[in-house]
Amino acid sequence: MTGFEQLVRGFSVALSWKGLLYCFIGCLWGTVVGVLPGLGPLAGMTLLLPLTFGLDPTIGIIMLTGIFYGAMYGGSTTSILVRIPGEAASVVTCIDGYEMARQGRAGPALMISAVGSFIGGTVSVLGLMFIAPPLAKVMIAIGPSVEVVLMLLALAVISIVSAGSRIKTVTMVVLGLLLGTIGLDNLTGAPRFTFGSPELSGGLSFAALAIGLFGLSEILLNLEKTETIKAIQPKLRDLIPRWNDVRDSAPAIGRGSVIGFIFGIIPGVSHVVSTFVSYAVEKKLSKNPEQFGKGAIAGVAGPETANNAVTGTAMIPLLALGIPSIPATALLLSALTIHGVQPGPLLLTDRPDVFWGLVASMYIGNIILLTLNLPLVGIFVNLLRIPYQWLVVAILVISIIGVYSVNSSVIDIWIMVVSGGIGYLLRKLGYEMAPLLLALVLGDRLEASFRLALTMSGGSYATFLDTASVVVLGSVLGLLLLVQGLAWVFGYRKSFTDEAERT
Amino acid sequence: MADPASVTDHASSPQDAEAADTGSRRPFLPRVIGSRCASLLAAGALALTGLIFAWQASLLDLGHIGLPGPGFFPLVLGGLLVLLSALIAIESRLASFKDEPLEFGHPQVLITFAALLAVPLLFELLGAYITLGLLSAVLLVLIARVSVLLGVVCSAVGMAACWYLFGELLGVRLPIGPFEGPF
Repeated sequence: MTGFEQLVRGFSVALSWKGLLYCFIGCLWGTVVGVLPGLGPLAGMTLLLPLTFGLDPTIGIIMLTGIFYGAMYGGSTTSILVRIPGEAASVVTCIDGYEMARQGRAGPALMISAVGSFIGGTVSVLGLMFIAPPLAKVMIAIGPSVEVVLMLLALAVISIVSAGSRIKTVTMVVLGLLLGTIGLDNLTGAPRFTFGSPELSGGLSFAALAIGLFGLSEILLNLEKTETIKAIQPKLRDLIPRWNDVRDSAPAIGRGSVIGFIFGIIPGVSHVVSTFVSYAVEKKLSKNPEQFGKGAIAGVAGPETANNAVTGTAMIPLLALGIPSIPATALLLSALTIHGVQPGPLLLTDRPDVFWGLVASMYIGNIILLTLNLPLVGIFVNLLRIPYQWLVVAILVISIIGVYSVNSSVIDIWIMVVSGGIGYLLRKLGYEMAPLLLALVLGDRLEASFRLALTMSGGSYATFLDTASVVVLGSVLGLLLLVQGLAWVFGYRKSFTDEAERT
Repeated sequence: MADPASVTDHASSPQDAEAADTGSRRPFLPRVIGSRCASLLAAGALALTGLIFAWQASLLDLGHIGLPGPGFFPLVLGGLLVLLSALIAIESRLASFKDEPLEFGHPQVLITFAALLAVPLLFELLGAYITLGLLSAVLLVLIARVSVLLGVVCSAVGMAACWYLFGELLGVRLPIGPFEGPF
């Protein structure tokens, strides 16, 4: 069956009433969690994970992925109207988006942001469609030693691109790998650090850790703040941008699509990095750079497009290699595994329905989000009027039920609460949680592939330096160096630091 | 003002100086700790974690360098964690960054965390809905500052909604505690 025929089959799944319904639910919930500070895509996906258990894997993954890119759309709303980024990738949008809103131009900012998100999202799905299948074919031919090299590379890159202290990031990677060893040893079945508890035999629950480290720690951090939220309310008729806005934002949307697409391959914080790079690029190329920070529409269009263009690219390593590059795709990996679907090179041959159904649903989801976000922006903003302390109660109750229902185990609630407390303390001290979670997901496979490669080679470490490994290592390193070099040329780190100081 | 006994490195921070000038008394909570001191404590905790993992891993079959056993990987990682923690400790002592005061123990954070710790203890004993209803009521009264009556009513309505959504619509099976037998 050709790729086109498979895509048509994917559309038949995505356009079924179930596909559409769950894609809509995912996009709607994603937008809500994107709007609400303290709930990012990861927490949003974990909360609805139990809902997918009774569903066909393709439909379940369509819904979870909808939450992922829906949150990217939703995050921009609060950035523009309240100057509170709904999630990390919308931090840059606060700068010019909120300035535009203060000048009574919230409507065009929201409109351009939604259109840019749509274009960026669609471009990245095209990339996913064309790049993932050939990449998967290459991956099938390689062995465990190359897998080890790839995973080590991914973890190294996470440590390098991190905005915080590198030692702290590496520490989080090591801690994540260490926590990943809890449970039965993959190769011998020997229990490790389970202390006789059968609940720990399968390892620490990823959902519980993700909710604790990201969701709960964020809630605890937000409880320290006592600011009241004042949102600017745009009217629907004010949404139409002026010709000047369209002219200024069109090239920014084009560049944002390319930047987001390229940066999506960087593991760790690619969605965040891409927005800073896009902002820096737009400022550098602008005829009026002094307008940036004072309500330049290109400063909204570029970053918003870029952070949505990342969503499709971030799925490439997950679906083609089975290696998640950001925490949200790590959760998707976990969800796929729960459903008995193994992401990786064999996904396209073993379960093409999942891959192509997902690709098709991403096109449809982007259209749903475009039509959903603009008319309903008033409703989404009104969510912010609910006192945060009330929201906390609702979020905690849903989180606890969600975490418990994955394995029907109280241990998982313990893991969530304790990791939430630890995450809160660590985040206050400048430790990042994303590297820990990614390492936790990769740890199991990294160790298994490492030991398997050594067994196959008769204990020779030279297996990690065979031709295939070196070629993969060299090409990935070269690509990453190029991307990182571009980021530095365009002053990503400077703009990142500037914004950190500003906030 | 921060408790002098708990603050050593940053006694001359602007906040403290201001508080001293005005003679005002800082509330007991939150407590203020210098970022260097906090960083050292975190490094110590991480090192301890690494040591425990390494010790436990050493009790497992380590295999040999060419054919590692189940204990090999965690032993190496535990050792690495100890090493990295030491580097963080050294960095926090030597680095030139400003020793900024960090606040720990905000009452709202402590109340929420304490309430959450009670949840796994009571979850199977009292059942999910009663436990989560109690959690909601406590948080609404103590964090959202609503009246006890409103807190209880809202929690009851919320739990009824949860039961319908999760129990009936989604078929999620949650423990029902004392009602396990009759139903």
